Amino acid sequence: MSLFYSTLKYLAVTLWSMFVIAPFLWALTTSFKDFQSVTSGATYIPWVDFEPTLDGWRSLFKSPAQGGIAIVEPFFNSVIVTAAGSGISIILGTLAAYSLSRFTFRVGPIRNGDITFFFISQRIMPPVVLSIPFFIMLGKLGLLDTLFGLVLVYVVLLMPIAVWIMVDFFNKVPLEIDETALIDGCNPYQAFFKVVLPNSVPGIIVAGMFCMIFGWTDFFFAFILTFTEVQLLPVAIVALNSSITPWWSLSAAALVSVAPLVVVAFVVERYLSKGNLSGALK
Amino acid sequence: MAKITLQNIAHSYNPGATEKIYALNPFDMTWVDGGRYAILGPSGCGKSTMLNIMSGIVTPSEGKLLFDDVDVTNVSTSERNIAQVFQFPVIYGTMTVEQNLAFPLVCRNYEKRVIAAKVQEVAEALSLQELLKKSASKLTADQKQLISLGRGLVRDDVSAVLMDEPLTVIDPDLKFRLRRQLKEINHKYSSTLIYVTHDQNEAMTFAENIIVMDEGNIVQVGTPAELFERPKTTFVGYFIGAPAMNFIDCEAYENKTVRLGDVPISTDTDISSVKSKKLKLGIRAEYIKIADKMGNNRIPVSIQRVEDLGSHKLVTAVFNGINLKVKAERDKLILSDDVYLELPPENCCLYADDTLI
Repeated sequence: MSLFYSTLKYLAVTLWSMFVIAPFLWALTTSFKDFQSVTSGATYIPWVDFEPTLDGWRSLFKSPAQGGIAIVEPFFNSVIVTAAGSGISIILGTLAAYSLSRFTFRVGPIRNGDITFFFISQRIMPPVVLSIPFFIMLGKLGLLDTLFGLVLVYVVLLMPIAVWIMVDFFNKVPLEIDETALIDGCNPYQAFFKVVLPNSVPGIIVAGMFCMIFGWTDFFFAFILTFTEVQLLPVAIVALNSSITPWWSLSAAALVSVAPLVVVAFVVERYLSKGNLSGALK
Repeated sequence: MAKITLQNIAHSYNPGATEKIYALNPFDMTWVDGGRYAILGPSGCGKSTMLNIMSGIVTPSEGKLLFDDVDVTNVSTSERNIAQVFQFPVIYGTMTVEQNLAFPLVCRNYEKRVIAAKVQEVAEALSLQELLKKSASKLTADQKQLISLGRGLVRDDVSAVLMDEPLTVIDPDLKFRLRRQLKEINHKYSSTLIYVTHDQNEAMTFAENIIVMDEGNIVQVGTPAELFERPKTTFVGYFIGAPAMNFIDCEAYENKTVRLGDVPISTDTDISSVKSKKLKLGIRAEYIKIADKMGNNRIPVSIQRVEDLGSHKLVTAVFNGINLKVKAERDKLILSDDVYLELPPENCCLYADDTLI
């Protein structure tokens, strides 16, 4: 019976893996094809079904004038906006979350839980509702089509995620840790920075990963709030869709855009599976 | 170390309300420098609140807290030089054992040389030398609790070490060893140790003085012997001792004599000035003698149950519908008929309105 369940389990995992990996494999093989191989029916195995070429990958680094798609600049724009947006969101979000977790706020009927919900509610609204105010505000500030403007917008979009995750995380950090630090001679700031924060690294990494995923994959605001000066990777890739789509370049660009997230996922995977505060108490 | 005085201290969790609900009712208390105290009481009686007021985690809604006659009521926790060990060991999981022990000194900017020497000294006292370089998060619960304790002892200037049920997570064998270690530490460092517990055995074996609390009030302060021999209230009588003190309703009869039913019982307590009609006689199971014929200070009982507890027999006898517990020697033959219990006058405590006369 256990063999049956074991077989069933592995079968399910294999099928699901194939389902997940298939698009990547498809994109990977396509990135090594040329025009002929893409347009002359389905081909799968390199050197057997088609002759692989690096043209798709080379085009990533060439300017449009040279027949390339030039995604190096959009790639680094995305890196800057995502890293800055996530970094600022995590710093501000962690501080806000710690305050919401440890101190009692009360303004009329509004309490800590309402403030936390206010942060999260920013993500409940459909993006299109936010796009017009963002557009007008950035326009008034002269920040449309700039990296700085995008960073500001991404902070607004990503901080709720950081606050949401970190409030939940800090609520699980025993209050005794803070109290012990105070008793040991820290002031409240030292208690946070010297004791609570180092213990919260797993939570910060998880929150950071989510911020990076949402920031890196955002297309909507990157598309609405930029024109010609600044282009982010998702917009640059989608822009390749034209009357004659260069599928090989598109596939290579798509793989490049996914690669950073895959690397991040592998790096932080152990924090996702590990207990958040293993060993801090008990 | 310091003398700690609590002057008319009280704490309410709804201080602004017209009808305050006190977690801790107003009281005065002085903790002598170098003393070993236990605060004993059932869960929710205000023990931890009292401890947290001393450490500064909770600011009392009323009264003053003095360390060596200096008012520290509003002084921050970090400036009070208090060490506190919580019920569950709190360690800094990202640090090694050595860094954990050194942390209170690092926070106070001690010289590295001094820190190293003190850490070594405390590690030796707590048998933690072998673990100094290990990550604190990888230790067992009792080792972690030792680290919590060590952080308190590493400072010379600590006013008192407060312990909030610190041995809850420790297995019984180690509990015994740690209690002994705590006593040794108390002798060695002359540190004031205040130990909160709801376990009377722990309190009795650890402390020189025990503070018994109930419903936010301090019910009695005394040595383990005083609490056992002369509980100030029936609550203390019930709470201290295993089995609890026996209580029998009685009536005043003569100056030092009460009547249990029809039987006059002599005591050492003069009740001539007592006005209350609600009297109780309290006596410990350890002091009741089993007899086979009627006599002075003896009451007729029927035997309900005899339990052999190994070291002694626990007899449950019934008098006028009240169950009385008696500790008898292991080889004592207990008959089921014609049994009398002798209540020695010197061991009888009389209570009026649940308070010792």
